[in-house]
Formats: sequence, structure tokens, C-alpha cells
Amino acid sequence: MKISLFVTCLGELFYQEAAKDMVEVLERLGCEIDFPRGQICCGQPAYNSGYRKDAQKAAKQMISAFESSDYIVTPSGSCAGMFKEYPGLFREDAVWQERAQKVADNTYEFTQFIVNVLGIEDLGAVYHAKATYHTSCHMMRLLKETESPFKLLHNVEGLELLPLENNYDCCGFGGTFAVKMVPISEQMVDEKVRHVEETGADVLITADGGCLMNIKGRIDREGKPITVKHIAQILNSR
Amino acid sequence: MAMKIGEKPFFDRVDDALDDTFMRQSMANAQDGLRGKKIAATEGDEAIGDWENWRSAGEEIRRHTLENLDYYLEQLSENVAKRGGNVFFAETAEEANDYIQQVVKAKNAKNATKAKSMVTEEIGLNEALSEVGCQVHETDLAEYILQAEEDDRPSHIVVPSLHKNKSQIRDTLTEKAGYTGTDQPEELTAFARSQLRDVFMNADIGITGCNFGVAESGSVSLVTNEGNANMVTSYPETQISVMGMERLVPTWEDLDVMVNLLSRSAVGQKITTYVTNVTPDVGPESVDGPKDFHLVIVDGGRSKALGTEFQSALHCIRCAACVNVCPVYRHIGGHAYGSIYQGPIGAVLSPILGGYEEYGELPYASSLCAACTEACPVKIPLHEQLIRHREIYVEENYAEKSEKAAMTAFGIGASTPSLFKIATKGAPTFAKPFVHDGSISNGPGPMKLWTKIREFPAPGNENFRKWFQEHKKGDSRNA
Amino acid sequence: MHKGTIHNRDKFLGNIADKLGRERKTNVSRPDWEHQPQWAVYQDHTRDELCALFHKNSEEKGTHVLETTMDQLEQTIVYVMETYGGAPMVATDDERFKAFGLNAVMATNDVHIWDAGSGSASIEQAKQANIGFLFSDASLAESGTITQFNGRNIARSVSLLPTTYAAIVPKSTIVPRMTQATATIHKHVDDGEDISPYINFITGPSNSADIEMNMVVGVHGPVKAVHIVVLDA
Repeated sequence: MKISLFVTCLGELFYQEAAKDMVEVLERLGCEIDFPRGQICCGQPAYNSGYRKDAQKAAKQMISAFESSDYIVTPSGSCAGMFKEYPGLFREDAVWQERAQKVADNTYEFTQFIVNVLGIEDLGAVYHAKATYHTSCHMMRLLKETESPFKLLHNVEGLELLPLENNYDCCGFGGTFAVKMVPISEQMVDEKVRHVEETGADVLITADGGCLMNIKGRIDREGKPITVKHIAQILNSR
Repeated sequence: MAMKIGEKPFFDRVDDALDDTFMRQSMANAQDGLRGKKIAATEGDEAIGDWENWRSAGEEIRRHTLENLDYYLEQLSENVAKRGGNVFFAETAEEANDYIQQVVKAKNAKNATKAKSMVTEEIGLNEALSEVGCQVHETDLAEYILQAEEDDRPSHIVVPSLHKNKSQIRDTLTEKAGYTGTDQPEELTAFARSQLRDVFMNADIGITGCNFGVAESGSVSLVTNEGNANMVTSYPETQISVMGMERLVPTWEDLDVMVNLLSRSAVGQKITTYVTNVTPDVGPESVDGPKDFHLVIVDGGRSKALGTEFQSALHCIRCAACVNVCPVYRHIGGHAYGSIYQGPIGAVLSPILGGYEEYGELPYASSLCAACTEACPVKIPLHEQLIRHREIYVEENYAEKSEKAAMTAFGIGASTPSLFKIATKGAPTFAKPFVHDGSISNGPGPMKLWTKIREFPAPGNENFRKWFQEHKKGDSRNA
Repeated sequence: MHKGTIHNRDKFLGNIADKLGRERKTNVSRPDWEHQPQWAVYQDHTRDELCALFHKNSEEKGTHVLETTMDQLEQTIVYVMETYGGAPMVATDDERFKAFGLNAVMATNDVHIWDAGSGSASIEQAKQANIGFLFSDASLAESGTITQFNGRNIARSVSLLPTTYAAIVPKSTIVPRMTQATATIHKHVDDGEDISPYINFITGPSNSADIEMNMVVGVHGPVKAVHIVVLDA
């Protein structure tokens, strides 16, 4: 199966190990991966801050890069969710809207693609740790994807997955929210970290770069002994 | 007092809220407590079938009603008048208050009882009536407590006193109302009951809000648990009901659906203890009902949402389901919003009703996690409307110039691959002076806000695109 | 009945029509809704099953439920009187007390029957009463709710002011949920009939959770509630 990798700007700049793990997992599952070179950023920072025109520029760039792809796979529920917003972003422009719709329809988050498109739930991964999983808001509510990450993680040998209290509450990232509303974001991420600590887990797993950057950033600042990993890093362990 | 709460700027209000430990614990407890109850009464209640179907039913009714609002308001007013009630259409809070003042003055009324109503808070009715020598007694337990505290304001649209604990309540009632008991909720409630009994019986005017007007019969439906709305609509000679202009349904059949959505979404009840439906039946013959009835229908800026992307915000039935799941509200509580309408719906409605100058920051007080949209029983796309508000805020030049410049740069960078390539290549070098132990603790420029409370990741040293190319070559070699 | 006044309507509604981008609408027919989940709830339940549900859901809200037959009804009423404090007591002025053979027990026990002609004196009696007796007009299985079509004689004060309300619930009045009750009201309106000026759905004793979300029973309305289900059908 031919798929196009949408690595995301955070993945490309900061989480290259996770991006590589994702590539290796998908290749092992028989996918032939290409990397559309025109890709940059999905435009979410501008879109969510009210800069529609600037978001449209980013979106046009991404649509041009991905419109010939049959499957677009990304290691971020939130960025996948942004692709799904593209048709709405061009509601006054029928031509671009149609192109946007095609891209939106072909876009999948990494775990969603593996479980729902490839129909695979056991990747033969091995990872010995007590861990908990952070469900990202956009993956859960915009993509409506709640089960795939758990299906895959439950089949990881050696992984003890502990339930996370108030897992449905946002971690306080919210893109520019994290820098515009620092005192509020701080309280949100602190509560999230407290719930993670209460599980007794050594590892926190998430499928979204934004949440990862936020929660890990806070955990490291506070010097907590918890490792934060992208789900691709766990699924590629053996 | 009206819609606005407090005079401080937004971030000062947030700071005050974050310092209030009890309030924050109380908001978190309320959210956590209500969550299970709401789920059990909605998607968890098999008896009512698919909750999504109910939400769609609610949305359908609300959409049709708003699209034909003029027609249904005309029908409602005609039916109220046919049964001897008076109807006043008020475009502004002032017009509504003027009319109600006139009614009160004509009766030479000195005492009014009021059942909890957000719209009367919105128009500042208590102050308006006090100006003409009529004291308004709040009778909803929470509002009674806030009134005793004098200038305290609602922090939640369903449970206005959510920010106060029982010992604060005891102290207030001891000081202001001569209470001598303990801080047990049962005892405090019994005191309020005994204090208000005679007030109910002796009031000249009874004031209510309106959960739903029923157009086909000219009825006002009130949804309560305490029984105070029943007292207010039974013993005073005059009843004045104030409704936001969008709060109506075409028929009784539609009322059924809306009451079900409201009770279950607000507090996880199958139905509230009282659903009281008043259809005017006035005149000297009336025994335990009003002899005179007034319905005041308020626009107050709502019409600005009609015909815009915000029209569906008027579908709101004030259940507070969005407030009860909002992670921002959870931490800052109601007063930080600076409006009597708080949480996600407050952040959508307040700028519509009160303008961006006053409430333009509220749409940013959201991480856009969409928990609100998911919870709304009439499917208002709340988080999308928050984004739309931000767009207008930017279009109308309220946003900071530096942010605008940054976003313009982002737009260019995100649509110019050659620039992005330079940026990704340069990032590790650029960031190098700030990197310690693999992350950035004290970032420059806009990164500063991030690193105030968290580490910023150091850009990876490797170029992912290059790695991918080489990796692919490796693949073809292996093949 | 004289017609009430309407102020400022045309300007107000004209503005709404403008904002909606069209002329004022003078005729709208309500569509057949695509989504109508309400009708499916308990649609296959027999009356016995609905009765059991009404019983269970009433108790869930703290209401004392007694089931009785037409023959035993009088005795059950006496039991309720003894249990909930006896006189002073009030009852609505409702023909059904006679139809259900209760006039005698009401008279012997000094139950004050609501007298609209006596005006505020009747309100005072309801206020002093330990128990208020009334009939439910429609009883909702889903939530354990009674309904009153109040009026001049079937006074709202009887269910509101006494310490305990005791509703006689003929089994024949039990329906699945509010849907059936409001459909009946809608039909009356459609047929051009006058509806009751005060239609009250009541589910157990009054209550509040306004103080730290603690549920307290007995706020401004009754402190206790009794549903006496009569197996009349």
C-alpha cells in the first residue's frame, strides 16, 4: 500500500525519533512510504488564533503537497484534525474546497490508520514499563478516535497500562493558548501531571506532538522522574 | 450590575481566581461529581435510546424555531394577550427595566419575589426596581445566599453560589440575616425556608425568567427543583416573566424534548422536581394565581447573532453542560470571566451581547479542546464559534500588532518551502546558545512565554528529510 | 376575558426579520421532525410494567409509594393520614374524590376541601396543613412524576404548601413519559380548547443542591411526597 507521510512541523523539528519509528513501523507492515517535499505546517497555530488568511496560505501549501496521495498518515491526532478542517477553511472558495475535501478524506492519524485501514492490532512490540496514556482532545473529539491507540498498546508485550484519572481533560496545550494564557495553562498541565503521577507510571505515552511538548516540558521543568514518549516509539520497540 | 462582573482586567481576575483555593476545589468537585450523573442520564441511559438522536432532535427544533423566530414570537405574544396577559417587546435592557418599573410604580409595589433567572441578572432588574422603591427578594437558595452577601454575583448559570462553601454561607447568614445555627446544609436550607415563607405570601410582585415560552398556547415554562418558582407565580397579585427572545418552542410536543435535554444535561436528572407551566388566566376570579400577567421579551443584543455564524449560539438552553466539562472553567471558576455568562457558552455569548471591547479576551480563554461542543445537548459548535470570534477580533484590529506580525511571518513561512528549509536547517544552530541538557529553559522572544513554566525542546540535530532520503536508498539497496 | 396589551412588537419583529435577511413571516408550518426519539421510550411496555417503573422511579426520588386497590383505597388514605401527621389537612375540590369513594373518609377526618369562594382563607388552610391530597392527571413512568392540571378548584396550593403532598395516582393515568402528556395538551390546543392555566409536573419533594452540591430535601415546597397508586385498570 502506498502512503504519504505527513510528519508535522513538530515531528520534523523536535520529535525526529518518533517520526523515524513511525516510518519503520509502517514499512514493516508493508507500506510504501513517500515524503511529499512541499509539506510544511498544517496552519493550526494561525487558524486557532483567528488568522484565517494566514492559515489558508499554509493550507494551500499542504493541499498542493498532498492532493495526489491516496493515504496521508501523520503521527498527530491534532494535525490530522486540522486537515479535516480544511474544507471549512475554504467555504467561500469552491475550487479549493473541493481540493481540501480530497485531502481531508484521505487523512489518518498513525494508530487509526494501522487499526482501521490496515486492520492490524498486534505489532509484535515489546516494551517493559508501567505506563499510562494521555488521550489528546483533538484525536478524541475532532477525529473521534478513542480506541485505536489502546488496541495497539494492549498488545505490547511487557507494557502495563494504567488508567489515567480525568483522562478526558485537556492538558493545557491548545496551541497558542499555552503562551497566551500561561497562568491557566500552567494549572491545567499541573493537574494533568499530578494525575499521571498518581497512576504510579514511569512512562507517559501520547499520540500528539503538541500535548507531548507541553506535558514533557512541564515534567522536565519540575524534575519529575517520568519519561514521556510518542506512541510510535513504544510500538517500534522490540 | 447587569451582565458585567467586576472592574478588574482579565488577567487580574484570573489571578484572583487562581488564588482562591476553596473555589477551585469546589469547581473541580462539582465537575467531577456531575460528570458521572450526567453520563448516566444521557448516553448511559439505555431506556431513552440513542442520546445522539435526542441531541439531533433538540438541534432540529431549535434551528427551526430560530429561523422562524419572528413568526413564533408573534404567535406567543398573540396567545398571551388572548388570555389577558400583557406583552412588552424590549430591544434593550433599559427598555425592559423602564417597562417593569412602570408596572411596579402603577401598583405602588414595595416587595417582589424572584425565582432564579439569568436574563434578569443580565438586564440588572433588581437595581432598577430598587430605584423605584421596590425591593426584590431572591428566592432560589443560591441567589438568596448571594443576595445576603450583598454584592456577590453568580459564578455558574445553574448553581450561582458554587464558589461559596458552607461555612462562608453560615457566616454570611449569621451576620446579615440573624442565623444562629451550624453550617450543615440541611439547617441552612431550613433557615432559608422559614425566612422566605412569609416573604412569598406577602410579595406584591412575582418575577420569573422563562426557560421556554410555548408559542402555540402562550405559556411560560419554568424548570426548577426548589419549588420557589411555584411560590413566586402563585401568591403575588402580579406576575412578571422576563424571557430572552430566543427562549421559546413552537408547541408542547417540542417542550417535552427540550425539557428532557435540559434536565438531563444540566444536573443528570430525568426531570427536574418541578416543571411548571403558566398560561395567563388573569382576573378577579383568580385565587392562588396572579390577577395580572406581564411577559417581557428581551433582545439585548441577541439579534446581532441572527443571520451570522453565531445564530446557533442562540440555540442555547442554559443547561451549563459546556461549563461543567470546561477545563478552563474548572481552574478559574465563573467570576474570572467577568460576565454572568461563563464557561464556553459565556465566552461565545458575552462578546455578542456586550461587544469585543469588554469581552473580546474571553474567546481566547479556551484551549479549544472541544469538550464543550461534545457536551452541548443542542449541538452548538462552541469551539468553532470561539475560533470565529478570534477571527473577528483580529479582523477588527483588537489583536496585538506583534502577534499579527508573527502570524503574517508564519503564513509566509508555512507556504514557502525554501524558507522552511532554511529555518529547519538553522534551528539547531540558532537554538544552540539556549540549549542546556537537551532542552531550553529560558527561551528568547516569543519562546519566553513558553519557557516561563516549561522546558522547550531543543531542535533535533539531524535533518529528518535527509534521513528519510538515505533511509529510502537503504531500502532499495536491501531490496 | 379582556385582551391584554402588546407593545413594540412590529419594530422588534421587523428587526428580527431584517437580521434573518427576509420579510416577516406570517405563516410557518412546523415540519415533521426527522428525529423523534421520545416516542420509542417504553413504547412496548404493558401498563403493569409502566406501573412498576412509576413505582421504582418515584421511590428513587424519595417519594413514599403505596399500591392499593379501589376497595382498599380508603384504608390506605387513613394510613397516610396517620403516618404523615393527620389534621390539619387539605384536598383539592375534585370530583374524583367522590368517584373513588373518598368523600366519607375526607369528611370524617376533617380534611378541608379547597373552597375557591373563600379566597385567601383556603390558602391559609393549605399553608397550615400537614398533608395535601390531590389526584394526578397524568403520571409519568420514566421519572415517577405526577401531573396536575391546576385551576380554580384543583388548586396548586394543595400540592405546594402542606408539609407532605399525597397524590392519588390511578393506574389508568400512567403513561411512559412526558411525551404522552404533552401530546394530549398539544391536541387540546390544536382543537382550540382552553388549557389549564397552571400545568404542573411534580416529581417528589422539593429539593436543592445549591450548598456545596449537597442534596437537601424540603426547600420551598413540600418536604415529603406520597404517591398512592390505585389499581383501577
